[in-house]
Amino acid sequence: MYVQDLKSGFYDLLVGKRAIIFVNYDVDAICAFKILQHLLKYDDILFTMVPVQGISDLKREFDETPNENVIILINCGGSIDIVEELQPDPDVVFFVVDSHRPTDVCNIYSQSQIRLLRKIEDDENVPDFETIFRDDDEDINEDSAHSSASEGDEPEGRHEKRARKTEESVMKQRDKRLWEEKRNRTLFEYSQFSYYGRSSSAIVFEVAWKVSKDNLELLWWAVVGLTEQLILDKIESHQFILEAGNLQTHMLRLSHQQDKGDSGSVMRITFEKDLQLSLYRHWSIESSLFNTRFTACKLKIWSLNGERRLQQLLADMGIPIAQSKQKFCAMDLQLRHEFCDKMEMQAVKYGLDGIGCESFTLQCGYRQRYSASDVVFSLVALLESTESGRSSKINFMDTLDSLSRAKRPLLEAGISRAKDLLVNIFQFVRNTITMGLIHSAGPFLYLTVQEGLVNCSQLLKPHCLGMLTRFVLEAYVASSKSRRSAAQPLVISAPYMDGIRLLLGIPPIKEDSPRNFFGKAFENAAERSQVEAFSELFDTSYILIRAEDQDRFFDALIKVLQ
Amino acid sequence: MFGVKAFELIRDLTLTGPEALPLYNSETVRQVLEEMRVLYERNQRDVNNSVNEDSSYLGTVHLRHAALERNKRCLLAYLVNRLQRIRDLRWDFGSVLPGDVAGSLCEQEVQWLQNYNRHLATYMRGLDGLDLTQEHCPPKSLCLEVRCLQDYGLFELEDGEQVLLKKDSIHLLPRSECLMLIRQGVLEHIPH
Repeated sequence: MYVQDLKSGFYDLLVGKRAIIFVNYDVDAICAFKILQHLLKYDDILFTMVPVQGISDLKREFDETPNENVIILINCGGSIDIVEELQPDPDVVFFVVDSHRPTDVCNIYSQSQIRLLRKIEDDENVPDFETIFRDDDEDINEDSAHSSASEGDEPEGRHEKRARKTEESVMKQRDKRLWEEKRNRTLFEYSQFSYYGRSSSAIVFEVAWKVSKDNLELLWWAVVGLTEQLILDKIESHQFILEAGNLQTHMLRLSHQQDKGDSGSVMRITFEKDLQLSLYRHWSIESSLFNTRFTACKLKIWSLNGERRLQQLLADMGIPIAQSKQKFCAMDLQLRHEFCDKMEMQAVKYGLDGIGCESFTLQCGYRQRYSASDVVFSLVALLESTESGRSSKINFMDTLDSLSRAKRPLLEAGISRAKDLLVNIFQFVRNTITMGLIHSAGPFLYLTVQEGLVNCSQLLKPHCLGMLTRFVLEAYVASSKSRRSAAQPLVISAPYMDGIRLLLGIPPIKEDSPRNFFGKAFENAAERSQVEAFSELFDTSYILIRAEDQDRFFDALIKVLQ
Repeated sequence: MFGVKAFELIRDLTLTGPEALPLYNSETVRQVLEEMRVLYERNQRDVNNSVNEDSSYLGTVHLRHAALERNKRCLLAYLVNRLQRIRDLRWDFGSVLPGDVAGSLCEQEVQWLQNYNRHLATYMRGLDGLDLTQEHCPPKSLCLEVRCLQDYGLFELEDGEQVLLKKDSIHLLPRSECLMLIRQGVLEHIPH
C-alpha cells in the first residue's frame, strides 16, 4: 500500500520501536540512510543497519536477524515480492523506500504489511486489482452449491442437469483461461521495462522536512542522492530538473533561515550554471576534457584528430597549453573565472552544445567548493574500491563516513580514486575502439571483457561497469560509420567471480529514456536456453551466468530480441 | 640546611607525574618531623633564655620558626596531594584499587580511603542507585551510535529484545547497554 502522509504514516509509527534497516549498495541509498540516521538519532529511536548487496544477501540477513516488528528497506526489495521471498511473520511491517521500478504488484496491493513511502507516479500504469487478483474460491463454492442442488432436485432429468452443469463449468473454465491470459499479458507489459523513479534520498528528506528537522546538511545529502541518479544515467535530465527545482525551494528556505554570523563554518549550497566536465575543479582542464564521456565522445579524443581538436578548442578559449595541464586551482585567477563562459561560447563550434548545465555546489566556510557530481564520483569510487584486504562492507562504511563534514580527507581520497577510475575507463574505451572489440550480434552489439584486458579490477564492479558500458557505446556510435549503431543496444560481459560472468545490457543511444528492457529479455533468454541465470542485483539489467553458458545464452538472447 | 628533607618529599611527588602514587615515604616524613622537633626545642630553649627582653636571639628564633613553618607546609602539601591522587585513582578504578597501587598507601591512607568509599556509596544509594563513577561528565545523549567490530552474535537488551551484532553493522543502542561492550572492544562509538 502507498503511504500518503509521511509523518503520521511512517515516522510516528517508528517512535518507541526498534527498526532494522536494510540498505542497498548504492550512493542514493547511502545518502538516504544518512538522512534517516540523523533523524532517528535525535529521536532516540533504536535501529540496526545492515548493508545488503543483492537478493540472496537480503534473504540471508533477514533470516539471521531476530524478530523485529519494523523493517525499513532502502533501495532494495521494492521490485521483488517481499512476502514470498522473505517469508516474514504476519505482524512484521515493512517500509519500503525504493527507486527501482516497476514495483512488484504484490507490494502495491498488500493490505498493510508492505508500505511504500511514495505516491503513485503518472507514468507507472499499475494494473488494476481485478486484472491480477481474483477470488478463486468463488468457483469452488458455486460448483459445490450446484452439486448439492442437483442431488435434492429429483424431478428434473439427470441428463439435462449434468449437461447444464458441464456447460457452465466449461464456460467458467474458458473465462478463467481468458482472464489468466489477460493477467499474464498485463503483468508482462507492466514489468517489461525496468527504470528508476524518484530518488530515495529526496523522499527521506521530505520525511525530515515534514517533522521539521531538516537542515542544509540533510539537503546536501538529498542533492547528492539525486545527482547520482543523473550521472549514472538512471533518470533523464527533465526528471532531474523537476526534482532539482523541488530541492531548490528547500535550499532557498533553509539558507534564509540560517544564521549569517560566523561565516567560517557556514554551509552554503548554490544551484547555478556549471559545466558537465567531471571533476574539473580538482583536476587539470586537459585531463577533465579528456576523461569526461560527453566531451570525449563528441570530440573523438581517442584519435589523433581528436587530440588536435582539443588543442584547438583550448587555443580558441585562450588558455595556454601549459596552464591547461596544471591543476585547476593553480591556474590564473582570470582564466579560472572566465573558463565557464568561454567554454559555452566555443561549445557550439565544436559540437559540444549541452555542456552547460545547472548543478548544485557546496561550500563550507572558506574551504574548497565541491559540486554534487564531484561528490558522487568520489562516493562511487570509494564504494567500489578494490584495494586488497578491504571487504565490501568496509568500503560501504567508508562511503557512509565520507559524507559527514568531519571526514573531509576521506572525500578527498575518494576524489583521487575517482580520477584514477575515470582515466582507466577512458583507456579501456580507447583500447576497445582502436582494437574493434565490439561485435554486432544482429539485434544488439556485444562486448566480452577478458580477464587480462582490464588492468584495473575496479572497472568490473557493477556501478563502474555501468559507467564504462555507457561510455563504450557512445564512443562506438561516435566512431562508427553506420547509422544503425545508434539504434542498437549493447550487452557487455565481464568476469565477476571465478567462473561466473556479469552481464549488463543498456538501451541504445538513440532512445533518450533510460528504460531498460534487458531484465525481461535476460529472463526469457535464460528460460529458452535452460541456462541457470541469477538475477542477483536489485537492478534487473545485470545478470550473472556461468562462463561456459555464455554462448548458449547469447544465442537465446538473439532469438528473444529479434 | 633546614627544609631539604621536606623538599625531597615534594620532589618525590612531582617526579612521578600527576597521576601516579609513589610509595609512602615514611622514612623521610619521620626525618622531617624529627627536624621540626629539634628546631622547636631549640627555639623553646632560646625563647625561655631571652624572656627578659634580650633581643640578641630574635633573628635565630625567627629563622627557626620560618624553617618550622616551611617544613609544616611541605608535609601538609605532601599528605594532601597524596590523598587527592588516591581519590582520583578511586574514581578511575573503582572501590578496590589494583595491587601495586594499594601497596603504596600507608595504613592511615587506607583507612581514609575506606571512609571515603563508604560516604560515596551512601550518597549514591540516596540517588536511587545511580552509579556516578561510570562517567566523569553527564552524558549528552540517551543513545549511542555504535559500529560493530567483531561478530558477537545475539545480544539481549534490558527490555528483552535481541540485537544481532554482526561485523560492520551500525546500531543505535541505549548508552547503558553499550558502554560495557565498548569497553570490551566489541563495539566502536561513532561520534557525530
